[in-house]
Amino acid sequence: MPTIRFTTSDREVTFPDGDEVNLLRVAIRNDCGIPFKCASGNCGTDRVRVEAGSEHCVPPRRRERDRLGDLLGHGYRLACQTYVVGDVTVAWDPDQTEMELGSRAIDRLKQVWLTREDTA
Amino acid sequence: MTELLSQPEFRLALENAIKGREAKNASFSLAWANGELTREHFARWAENHYHYVGPFSDYLAYIYANTPESARGAKDFLLQNMYEEELSDVRHTDLLIRFAEACGTTRERVVDIENATAVTRGLQGWCYAIAMREHFVTATAALVVGLESQVPSIYRRQYPVLLEKYGFTEDETEFFDLHITADEIHGERGYQIVLEHATTPQLQQRCLQLVGHGAEARFSYTKALYDTYVMKPDTPVANPEPALA
Repeated sequence: MPTIRFTTSDREVTFPDGDEVNLLRVAIRNDCGIPFKCASGNCGTDRVRVEAGSEHCVPPRRRERDRLGDLLGHGYRLACQTYVVGDVTVAWDPDQTEMELGSRAIDRLKQVWLTREDTA
Repeated sequence: MTELLSQPEFRLALENAIKGREAKNASFSLAWANGELTREHFARWAENHYHYVGPFSDYLAYIYANTPESARGAKDFLLQNMYEEELSDVRHTDLLIRFAEACGTTRERVVDIENATAVTRGLQGWCYAIAMREHFVTATAALVVGLESQVPSIYRRQYPVLLEKYGFTEDETEFFDLHITADEIHGERGYQIVLEHATTPQLQQRCLQLVGHGAEARFSYTKALYDTYVMKPDTPVANPEPALA
């Protein structure tokens, strides 16, 4: 059975041959400690560095490409967006928080609040 | 008297409560995955689906209000889920309407509940009733485990065919791509919350019952789409669909 190794938390999880599993879902279910916040590939809190087995991760789709940019070329993936089909080893900074990225939500909130006169 | 199940036993029982009723196996889902539907069928699906998922934040807000402060993790999950539905990026209903418009229907038709089937309206009503009236853990079981956790298994079969057979773009189908991954995580967090907070045999049994009811409701909703728009294309609807270009 394929094994996912979570180096930072020193955990290993196996899954059945032939399955394609979501990396963050496996981590959450088995308390493997990958930090996360959203589940949509927006915040980037769950970025991991693939130390081995990147060929067993399905290719990144548009949302992950948009969020990670050049980091993809340095071996990073977003756990919530990554499906795994074989042995993989991942690591992360346990203190990492969300990525500093432009957000349509922030733009929308700015539009709502910063265009209004403060009448208080 | 039913005994309290261990967490592994309870998880297995929750998964089994969905089995045999998975919406991915309903006739409309199978026809979609097999490439047997048309853009007109997808348009009708979007006009119905909006009325099931459009109020999802409303459902979750009722559960949030019923969740005690002592279950802070569950409250935070519900709030994060609502935020992602509505504000974190493009509003999810707007992604659904984007797909609907690519199928040839309009925003006006999508938001008009007269274009939904009676079964769709029933599913929406069931979601509201469960969210408002049930204990937060049984409501989470019903809506997140019973309904939301099924989404990846449905869309992972439907999304590729939209790109490959029907020629939709990634932009037009972002609704599906987004939910394949997001609902993997939402579903798993839902399982965790239910496993942690269903601490009596009565709560566990009610969770199992409502997960089953949720799965049946989603299956019935999906089957009704096939019966209404594929098997019986002449079934009258309040607002007949416009001719598509």
